[in-house]
Amino acid sequence: MTAIEVYDPALCCSTGVCGTEVDQALVSFAADVDWAKQNGARIERFNLAQQPLAFAENAIVKGFLERSGQEALPLVLVAGEVALAGRYPSRSELARWAGLVETATEPKPSGCCGGGSC
Amino acid sequence: MLWRWQLLKAVMKFLEQPPRFLFFTGKGGVGKTSIACATAIALAEAGRRVLLVSTDPASNVAQVFGAIIGNRMTDIPGAPGLSALEIDPQAAAQAYRDRIVGPVRGLLPDAVVKGIEEQLSGACTTEIAAFDEFTALLVDSALTANYDHIVFDTAPTGHTIRLLQLPGAWSGFLESGKGDASCLGPLAGLDKQRAQYGRAVEALADAARTRLVLVARAQRSALNEIARTHKELAAIGIAQQYLVINGLLPEEEAKQDALAAAIYEREQAALRALPAELAALPCDRVALRPFNLVGLDALRQLLVAAPSPANASDDEPIALDAPSLSELVDAIAADGHGLVMLMGKGGVGKTTLAAAVAVELARRGLRVHLTTSDPAAHLAETLHGSLEHLKVSRIDPHAETERYRREILAAKGAKLDAAGRAMLEEDLRSPCTEEIAVFQAFSRIIREAGESFVVMDTAPTGHTLLLLDATGAYHREVARQLDAKGAHYTTPMMQLQDPKQTKVLLATLAETTPVLEAAGLQADLRRAGIEPWAWIINNSVAAARPHSPLLRQRARNEIREIDAVAATHARRYAIVPLLKEEPVGVSRLLELAGHAVEAA
Repeated sequence: MTAIEVYDPALCCSTGVCGTEVDQALVSFAADVDWAKQNGARIERFNLAQQPLAFAENAIVKGFLERSGQEALPLVLVAGEVALAGRYPSRSELARWAGLVETATEPKPSGCCGGGSC
Repeated sequence: MLWRWQLLKAVMKFLEQPPRFLFFTGKGGVGKTSIACATAIALAEAGRRVLLVSTDPASNVAQVFGAIIGNRMTDIPGAPGLSALEIDPQAAAQAYRDRIVGPVRGLLPDAVVKGIEEQLSGACTTEIAAFDEFTALLVDSALTANYDHIVFDTAPTGHTIRLLQLPGAWSGFLESGKGDASCLGPLAGLDKQRAQYGRAVEALADAARTRLVLVARAQRSALNEIARTHKELAAIGIAQQYLVINGLLPEEEAKQDALAAAIYEREQAALRALPAELAALPCDRVALRPFNLVGLDALRQLLVAAPSPANASDDEPIALDAPSLSELVDAIAADGHGLVMLMGKGGVGKTTLAAAVAVELARRGLRVHLTTSDPAAHLAETLHGSLEHLKVSRIDPHAETERYRREILAAKGAKLDAAGRAMLEEDLRSPCTEEIAVFQAFSRIIREAGESFVVMDTAPTGHTLLLLDATGAYHREVARQLDAKGAHYTTPMMQLQDPKQTKVLLATLAETTPVLEAAGLQADLRRAGIEPWAWIINNSVAAARPHSPLLRQRARNEIREIDAVAATHARRYAIVPLLKEEPVGVSRLLELAGHAVEAA
């Protein structure tokens, strides 16, 4: 199965409640990751504040940080290649990358794409 | 020396049948380290083998015992059976930061490394790093097998213990290894195993093994605060709690002068109005001592009354020549407008000082908006409408925090399962949350400071500012580009960093721990590029020029701290005397600032 790696920005609270405003995307994404893992996806998350070495040891991630800075995180690698940057993926995107089939009962309010291409 | 132990046990309830672990908690400056030291000495004299663990940043344990201690168990000369260990929570947190950040320094961009360090510089990291150091002492191990009692001059907060108790925190965090629990993040880089943290928390909640002693002074606000601590820790299962009221002025002393009489009356009134939940606890009272609590002999006399009115015939004048608050306000007034923020630990009198500064400014004919977060707010109420040019408003931190929590839970919690929701609720109980909620409320008022004066009795810490300014790097980049084109651009952070627009006044007391705590706040602000404009030493006994021998002794002890503030910590400072009556109302506030009392 394809490995998905998510490089999170440095977060004091991974729920983000310490920030000026709480990022709904963070909570939703945590739930989506949980769902994908339960369905067999291989997803790993790295928090810049807790596992910075993981960022430094990956040439792609390190180069991305040098070029775009930490403001440009999160960065998502699929099979070691850049798949997405600057926002968290939707459940559909995760499912597609991991080769999962999304259950029809799952309401999907995410944008225009909903897993396909726009 | 067993007789002394028999006596102490009979006099002090918190010493009856002492369990293995004794924790002393209370805010800085109430004397919990002294009481912990005295307890450890007493237990050792009773023939027990005792380990004293100090985490006081102002740790004078080494000085007290005349031995170099540090982060290893050290036998105390002159006190057979007693060893001590000093844990520096800041150093523990620094060691943790180094472990995380060290390997990537030079590998990742400097700005990124700095950002990571800031994330790991909060109070949560420090507290959990310190707890990590405790755990080995709380679980049975060869390390502590030789000791009958371990006496801590500190206790973890309810927030830390709840985090460690949360089953969701562990499953979400340690099992997957990818932190979902915010404040547990620091544990990732720490050494202990889940089982060890679990056993440590278990030991804390076991009444047969652990006793918690709440230490407070007889002041209304301090007692309310310790009542909150009591409830919070009781709610998580720390059932065996005792109360010690420290530093009570003896009745004899009240006959010596009017100030002493007023202090005595105020303290007795505070004790009569003791919050109900505290009144139910076993309570001990420790009198204010005329001597410095340094050395074994002095500490032996802390808990047992010794009739030793110090230097009763002393008339030597107390050398004190310090600027008044009024002189400080002259310089603030010169700018015509701006934001003035009072900052300091709880209980140093920020609200009163903010009101005094506001009244002084208004008296000069300047428009002032005083915003207070004082929950009692009687101060704001008495001021409201009583002085021309002065407007008073109030922000209730609890209401603001509750509203913020409800908003977040409603907005974010909807999709979460029970474990996720519990985790989010716990995150929202972190100390950061209140600061952010209140700061958001205040930030609305900050804008007025461009035209008139805004005086606030609270301020965010440097750490919170840096986190709130997470997008600051971007702002600064924008500002740099705009500057190049000659444009003008200001971020809120820039407003706080500019001394022409914002003056931070650090409030403290002329006592060792409060001064060190204020110095810590100053270092924290400097990290955020904010230079405190002045220090204010509040409730100074020395500045009140007392006659009572006991108060005169205290006044002399203050001089050393005042000198330290003047010489090393502050760019400019002012001293505010301890008043006979609570500084409520315009005329008494002016008296605080250094004006003679006008006839009522």
